[in-house]
Amino acid sequence: MLGSVDSCVLAGLEARRVHVECDIGRGSEPAFHLVGLAATTVKEARERVRSAIKNSGLEYPRTRFTVNLAPAEMRKEGAALDLPIAIAIVLALTRRSAPPNSAFLGELALDGTVRHADGVIVAARCLRALGYERIFVPAEDAAEAALVEGVEVIPCATLAAAVNHLLEVETIAPAHGGVAQIGSGPDTTEHDLAEVHGQDEAKRALEVAAAGGHHLLLSGPPGAGKTMLARCLPGILPPLELAEALEVTQVRSLLGELPRGRPLDWTRPFRSPHHGVSMAGLIGGGSGLAAPGEISRAHHGVLFLDELAEFQTPVLQALRQPLETGRVSITRAGGSVVYPARFTLIAATNPCPCGWSGDSVRACRCTPAAIDMYQRRLSGPLLDRIDLQVAVRRVPVEHLASEPRGEGSAMVRERVVAARARQLDRQGCLNAQLKVARLRQVAGLGPEARRTLERWAAQRGLTARGFHRAWRVARTAADLDASDDIQEHHVLEALGFRLQDVAA
Amino acid sequence: MRTRGRWPPPEGPRVAIVGSRRPSPYGEAVAEQLGLELARAGVVVISGLALGIDAAAHRGALDGGGPTVAVMGTGVDVIYPAAHGVLAEAILAGGGALVSQFPDGTAPRRHNFPARNYTMAALSDVVVVVEAAEGSGALITAEAALDLHKEVMAVPGSVFSPLSVGTHGLLRDGAGLVQNARDVLAALSLGGEVLDDPLATPHELGFRLPAPRDGILSHLSDVLALNAAEIARKLQLPVAEVLGRLTALELEGAVKRHQGGYVRALRRGKERA
Repeated sequence: MLGSVDSCVLAGLEARRVHVECDIGRGSEPAFHLVGLAATTVKEARERVRSAIKNSGLEYPRTRFTVNLAPAEMRKEGAALDLPIAIAIVLALTRRSAPPNSAFLGELALDGTVRHADGVIVAARCLRALGYERIFVPAEDAAEAALVEGVEVIPCATLAAAVNHLLEVETIAPAHGGVAQIGSGPDTTEHDLAEVHGQDEAKRALEVAAAGGHHLLLSGPPGAGKTMLARCLPGILPPLELAEALEVTQVRSLLGELPRGRPLDWTRPFRSPHHGVSMAGLIGGGSGLAAPGEISRAHHGVLFLDELAEFQTPVLQALRQPLETGRVSITRAGGSVVYPARFTLIAATNPCPCGWSGDSVRACRCTPAAIDMYQRRLSGPLLDRIDLQVAVRRVPVEHLASEPRGEGSAMVRERVVAARARQLDRQGCLNAQLKVARLRQVAGLGPEARRTLERWAAQRGLTARGFHRAWRVARTAADLDASDDIQEHHVLEALGFRLQDVAA
Repeated sequence: MRTRGRWPPPEGPRVAIVGSRRPSPYGEAVAEQLGLELARAGVVVISGLALGIDAAAHRGALDGGGPTVAVMGTGVDVIYPAAHGVLAEAILAGGGALVSQFPDGTAPRRHNFPARNYTMAALSDVVVVVEAAEGSGALITAEAALDLHKEVMAVPGSVFSPLSVGTHGLLRDGAGLVQNARDVLAALSLGGEVLDDPLATPHELGFRLPAPRDGILSHLSDVLALNAAEIARKLQLPVAEVLGRLTALELEGAVKRHQGGYVRALRRGKERA
């Protein structure tokens, strides 16, 4: 007596097909054999499946039987194979075959309830690509799976309900969803620029960063408002596009962090890992297959690294590849995975170990050597990839009330959205992501502008990378100005945000 | 005493120029100018090879063509800070000397520097302090000079700057006022007292103040840094425009970045080849 169904296991944002077969033998001794390179979580499925079948009032084999997970050489992990294993056993006993082009996912509780599985939307997308037309998923994950168009989603609340559907005793209505049902959420910004007093220079830098996708470094004493400024960035970015939101949702789904019932979120992610974060925590990692790290959670959003100099140097160095390519590839024992990591980096740092260098009131107590060492930890390849750097000064408490508040985030966002639209029309990507060859093509410099940029480069010993980065920022300044040409004042503004170029 | 280079230095008065290791651009310009003018007048300029005022004084003296002596807190074979290797070579090449009371190979130690400051005072006829915050090592040199009955002089700074606390304290306690090199020469009895208009002195000393062709410059100070946002508010201009104009002035060497903002530059920056 044979029964078989299809399922899949996830490897990063890819799914690999798993064929689950059950053969029920004739021996008198009841035994459940599970073969096919199952990891611990899958081996434990035996106990869950047995209890779930019995407690659902279904028949359980009284003889020796074998469940095989194919392909045999691929290691399988995760509890989402519970449901397909149970279904395969039931189908074998009832001598029925599964409906064609169908796949099953879900963890079983001992009472037969189908529990949430991580990464259902990723599985749904990949299964559709593999040609599946129908997927059986835990009821609570149905809305998430239904975000994928072109595949029928059958929500299973219990094992018994799924079996009844297959035996055509009582059919389950497919989940209707699609993206259309989920309107854009309430347009609230948690932190508004209007709440920040003064700091116009840093606010302008935020606007340029948002408009062109540039990374930003804020340097200033404690209490200058660096964190507050950073938290304002998501509010001046446009809401996520559908494709972006789906990518963000997939990463969250893998991590099991999706809010139930509202799987698609249009707000930009904002992640601020503590400076003690490990390499695996920031970049992604773990044993077996690597899990996404903070940089992938910040995909299409903002990664805020406060106290940049306190992060471990190797961790910061590992940021270089994702900063350049927008993705990160991690290899572990279980294989290689690639996660998206296209984020806007905002880094904040004190100017010196005690934090008060340059403050107008409190004196700095650091020796020049200590400051030098502190700044050297930051310098080099990472800083070279941060386009905008701005010094933030502390506004004394007694002056706070008299500092003007300036524009709110909504107004700034309008300009940012317009500038982004110009870039996408012209070149299909944001200025920060322009390759050098494309930069030359689409962002011509006038003679005056070019002379100024070259003069600065010669005076300050700019690297080729630094030169092109200043050029891209100038292009963004021109886009905010709705100007087709990069004029000299755009270049000058871009250079004004280069704190790292110390005069010779 | 261990020495490298020409020791003893040529006959002539010796003036120590000391001050903060992290001066404002103003203090650095004053130290460099004093070093240059005093060297031209035949004075041996003594300092400590440290960052900031010390280095500026040595550089000024070398520009003025005079020998200059670095009194070190390490062994004469240990250049500290290491970045001053080139400066040390230039001092030796310029007919000056590196001297130290410590044996060869002595590494920089915090407690050795006060003793070095004492030696510096002992070797000098006059000690000039340019920018010293409260508790600065330069004040130890000044105190040592007083113990040794040497003349102590100080350069005034901005009343808003913490770097003026030490120097203004010295002035209040009776240190000689230094507005230019002639004040120091007068204290050495090498010239008449300077009684002319102090406001005129920067020009006579050769400071080149950039012509006020841009409204921004008149809002900037020599010592206190202002950032683009603060200037933009005074001028009622968009911050992006002010930032661009400041960068243009920076390219010309008319302003400098200092402590997260901008100050007026007193000497034009040298363009890198």
